[in-house]
Amino acid sequence: MADKKEKKRGMLDGFKSVLYGMAGHDMARYALKTRGSMEHLFILITMGDLLGIPILPPYYSLRLLPYVVPQISTWKRRMLREKDLTDALA
Amino acid sequence: MSMREVFEQNPDRRYIMFGGKGGLGKTTFSAATAYWLAKQGKKVLVFSVDPQASLSDIFKQDIFGKGPVEIMPNLFAQEIDADRRIKDYQEEIRQKIRDMYGMTEIPEEIENYIQAAAAEPAMEESAIFDEVVDIVGSANYDYYIYDLVPLGHALYYLSMASVYDQWIDKITGLRTEMEEYAKVAAVMQRDKESEEDQILKELQFIKHRINVSSGILTDKLKTAFFFVVVPEEMIILDTKKAAGLFAKFDVPLAGYIVNRVIPPELAGQNIPVYLRNRMEMQTRYLKEIDQVFSGEVLARIPEFERDITGLPMIERMAQVMFGGL
Repeated sequence: MADKKEKKRGMLDGFKSVLYGMAGHDMARYALKTRGSMEHLFILITMGDLLGIPILPPYYSLRLLPYVVPQISTWKRRMLREKDLTDALA
Repeated sequence: MSMREVFEQNPDRRYIMFGGKGGLGKTTFSAATAYWLAKQGKKVLVFSVDPQASLSDIFKQDIFGKGPVEIMPNLFAQEIDADRRIKDYQEEIRQKIRDMYGMTEIPEEIENYIQAAAAEPAMEESAIFDEVVDIVGSANYDYYIYDLVPLGHALYYLSMASVYDQWIDKITGLRTEMEEYAKVAAVMQRDKESEEDQILKELQFIKHRINVSSGILTDKLKTAFFFVVVPEEMIILDTKKAAGLFAKFDVPLAGYIVNRVIPPELAGQNIPVYLRNRMEMQTRYLKEIDQVFSGEVLARIPEFERDITGLPMIERMAQVMFGGL
């Protein structure tokens, strides 16, 4: 009895995964990609000075610096690779 | 209305500011008001938000960067050391980075940014602005007296608060939206709760601090802002302009104090023509001040025979301003 239940759940999980693969995965990927772009946009508007674009008074932007340290190098690469800064939003 | 009545009728106004062009007597009035309030049994802190502060000079005591210093019973004075605050703050950021990522050294790129940020011209003002939040947030005193910077800077200070406020609103909005995308992805991938966004928390903290500061500057119940003028044409024109701008930022104007008035009793004495001419000029502009700022002129303070430094002179000034202690 317990075995049957287990099997059923296994099937259900498998089915959920297939469904996710068919429908959800792309959406999730899209959501994450959008979030990634926004992350870069966010760093641009707070840490713009790093690229030579001073955007806000720096006192409070320093407060945010520790949180974006890991993203700084990928962000700079991305900003410099994009043909146009607005591409980063796409 | 007199200065004394303004204070007696509005006991809730705990944040007192004197504004005006440089050298007209803002620090003098700040110190004298602090002295009078302290003599009334109120605990008072007078502090300077000017990088070129002069409270040390007027109290004849070096208080720069020493925190609140007791000048006499109930009267405390403070001059903010912006440079040191910036240095401490930079170190705090470095330490946070080291702790968060277990680094022993800050990456060069990041270090450069920290250095460059501190060299920005707005840094000093922002640092002082931020320290003021600590000072008034401590709630240790009955009265806080701001010895303000000259008008232009004070306006910059005020506009900075509103710009900051709007800017923070915008990026907090962006950050919240980012949270939503992360949540959507997490739900689809059937992850547990997405991580709490530390940056969003930090932004809300910053927003809170800015709101405390600009909230005080525009609080009609708790704040009294006095303009200092002298009977001269240029000063009257500039003050009119500045008063208009301050009104735009919703700063509650409590009234005007006219400083450096040549004592009228001199007219009856044998005085040189030079002085008589100056007195005539002042009479003309005093009339104009009474017209332009009609009903809002609280006091006319005479020109003293010597400069106002040290407690005995501050006491004399307080007597003139408030009519007896």
